[in-house]
Amino acid sequence: EGSLTYTNMDGQGATADPQLQHFIEIESQKQRFQQLVHQMTEVCWEKCMDKPGPKLDSRTEICFVNCVERFIDTSQFILNRLEQTQKTRGSFSETMLD
Amino acid sequence: HSMSNTTSINVCKIYEYLRSNMDGQGATADPQLQHFIEIESQKQRFQQLVHQMTEVCWEKCMDKPGPKLDSRTEICFVNCVERFIDTSQFILNRLEQTQKTRGSFSETMLD
Repeated sequence: EGSLTYTNMDGQGATADPQLQHFIEIESQKQRFQQLVHQMTEVCWEKCMDKPGPKLDSRTEICFVNCVERFIDTSQFILNRLEQTQKTRGSFSETMLD
Repeated sequence: HSMSNTTSINVCKIYEYLRSNMDGQGATADPQLQHFIEIESQKQRFQQLVHQMTEVCWEKCMDKPGPKLDSRTEICFVNCVERFIDTSQFILNRLEQTQKTRGSFSETMLD
């Protein structure tokens, strides 16, 4: 989770090699995408799959499509809502982020 | 589990090797070690998949546990494993597609 930091043992610092830094960022993004695939598979399986049958029927596939789209919508909605709430609630940081 | 004990011992060996190699070359100087790490990582991921699928398919297929696994439940397990893999592939394809059409995908979902 998050991005990997590379420590160069001679003390030069993490950005001594821009090519490596870029490679690490790409690999981190790939990893986050993989984690999203796993999370969504689990979430949508839970919501859409009744008893597993001999094949994926179209009703289930349509549910998967809706599931992915609505999950992304939900994520965006929550993000917007939290940003809004953070502005109006004084004790937000202490309550929620500590 | 004998596999996880072996893995734990081997992980300790890896850490010892890394500590002793502090001259800055890094863990990938040794291709044999690199290969070993990849194999162990793959074993671990497979183990995690087994645990996840057991939980998922138990949830979907097991009614009240009886004196044995009846064939209806076993057939459900077979379907479950196959359909879970299908689902995983379906979701992957769908997400790749959605990533292309939704502009704010990366900021919303991958940060």
